[in-house]
Amino acid sequence: MKSPTVELACIIDDDNIYVKLVKKIIETKKLCKHLMVFSDGKESIDYFEALPQNIEENRIPEIIFLDLNMPVMDGWEFLERFTRIKNRFNKVITIYIVSSSINPIDIDRAKSLSTVSDYLIKPMKMNEIEAIFEK
Amino acid sequence: MLKNNLDPHFIDNSKSEYWEISSNIFYWSSAFLKKIGYDKTEIKEDIIYFLKYLIHDDCREAFRDSFFNYIKNDSIFDLDIQIKCKSGNYKEFRCFTSYESTKKFNKNTKAIFFKERKVVTDDRVKNNGFFYRESAEMTKTGSWFIDFLKQKSYWDQQTRKILEYPEDYLPSLKDAGEYYAEEDHELATNLFFKCGMSGIPFNIEIKMLTANKRAFWVRAIGKPVYNDHKEIIGIRGVFQDIDDEKTKALALQKTLDIIASQNSRLFNFAHIVSHNLRSHTSNLTLITELIDSMDTVEEKLEMMANIKNISESLNTTITHLNEVVTIQTQTHQNKVDVNFNDILNYVKKSICKIISESKTKFKVDFSELPSLDYIPAYLESILLNLVTNAIKYKHPSRDPEITIKTYIKDQKKYLEVRDNGIGIDMDKYRNKLFGMYQTFHFNKDAVGIGLFITKNQIESLNGQIQVDSKVNEGTNFKIQF
Repeated sequence: MKSPTVELACIIDDDNIYVKLVKKIIETKKLCKHLMVFSDGKESIDYFEALPQNIEENRIPEIIFLDLNMPVMDGWEFLERFTRIKNRFNKVITIYIVSSSINPIDIDRAKSLSTVSDYLIKPMKMNEIEAIFEK
Repeated sequence: MLKNNLDPHFIDNSKSEYWEISSNIFYWSSAFLKKIGYDKTEIKEDIIYFLKYLIHDDCREAFRDSFFNYIKNDSIFDLDIQIKCKSGNYKEFRCFTSYESTKKFNKNTKAIFFKERKVVTDDRVKNNGFFYRESAEMTKTGSWFIDFLKQKSYWDQQTRKILEYPEDYLPSLKDAGEYYAEEDHELATNLFFKCGMSGIPFNIEIKMLTANKRAFWVRAIGKPVYNDHKEIIGIRGVFQDIDDEKTKALALQKTLDIIASQNSRLFNFAHIVSHNLRSHTSNLTLITELIDSMDTVEEKLEMMANIKNISESLNTTITHLNEVVTIQTQTHQNKVDVNFNDILNYVKKSICKIISESKTKFKVDFSELPSLDYIPAYLESILLNLVTNAIKYKHPSRDPEITIKTYIKDQKKYLEVRDNGIGIDMDKYRNKLFGMYQTFHFNKDAVGIGLFITKNQIESLNGQIQVDSKVNEGTNFKIQF
């Protein structure tokens, strides 16, 4: 089997079952070497904001899967705060919104943000997930 | 200098019949003069002359009041008047101003236009007492006049009839307060004062009181009355009984509000259903796909455990949705007289364990409003939700203290539940507070359904809930029933 091209990916989602399943897929398919999981926006933004500048690249995820509807801090607020600090990192971070919301207002809003690469609607297909990692 | 002020005129005066008035200097267009057959040298171009010699007696007062009102307050008018021509005959004119036409002039110049009526009103319907009587009767409109010089007011019979006063009743300025509903006293005083002092006319819907103290809706129109010297000497106006229409309109508006609120709740609900069910079904889709891709039976079996989890969460969601639907369908349940104290005691008993463990103290005052016509199950659920929330989100460094009181303000009934807990950041969460599955704290047992249900219950019975909160100080929920 080929070795994963992605070093570190990150999931921000409060749905435990979903996280567990995606984790399983990533492990089985060996899509990335490391995966970090945060259960809401606050936990993850705390992590990113606390990262010192010039930290080793392997501590910064290449891909973030971000849920919108989360307790404490939702995906939108995360994006707002993340946009402010993203230039600190010497690395291109691709953010995908992964939500079960099919509300066009959400979709349009996500597409208008330059930080967001794509809006994916749950359920994600296995081959969809694979495709993202192989990009 | 005088000539410079007026010349050139704003409108081609050979074609239009109009007056131009600029700081009390009158200019009558040549077309106007031609129409009534006079030469500039034969008459005086001013209002006093016009009122005295040219306008028909029947329309004199109406024109005078409208004219001064326009000059003073820029209130536009549109009247039919009759002007005496040189031949001695009267011609009918539509005499009007318009905001648009005055805008073209400079600020201090005003214009009044005269258009000859092509069809002359037949004498048989002109200024006929029958016509006025019948339209007053038909539209339930009475007229009145307040004479400032004599300090007296006059009503016609129709006004007495609308206000249910006897035929020989003499209105008095002293009693004017009794003609208006208490809540509209200030409004009425203001309108009459402004009209009398500054000549500002009014046209408004107001609540009046009949002689029998029955409150009803009236359209009141009032205009200042001037003498020839531009001084306000009274107010003339009409009262129209619009109680039937207004009551219907208000009832319709209320129905509309209820429908709109129900519709928005339904829409909200549909959205919630779609969103919350989708998150589970998408997990199911993902898991079946994953199972398909697994090679060994052991792995597949391991995944089966997750299906159980998903089915449990799906069940919980459906239970929650069910609770919401129940609210929508239960509003027809009978309201009964519910005692706040009884309900609170019941709630306290049902959660006595968490109350004693958290050392929660209650300060309760239901003295002003001990009971309420309400659905008992709702009040119980509302109190239970607010009290458990207050305890759940208590401040880590102090024991919870919950203040509950009921009161009546402006004829509306209120319940307030105040706590000294950790509070909510209102700037951030104001819009989300009552949403479904919204939680704002790190508590593990936060579900995000309580306040959503509470809000729905209150609104389904046409009430309102408001929150006020300061982080680290506490939260206050105010419910208007």
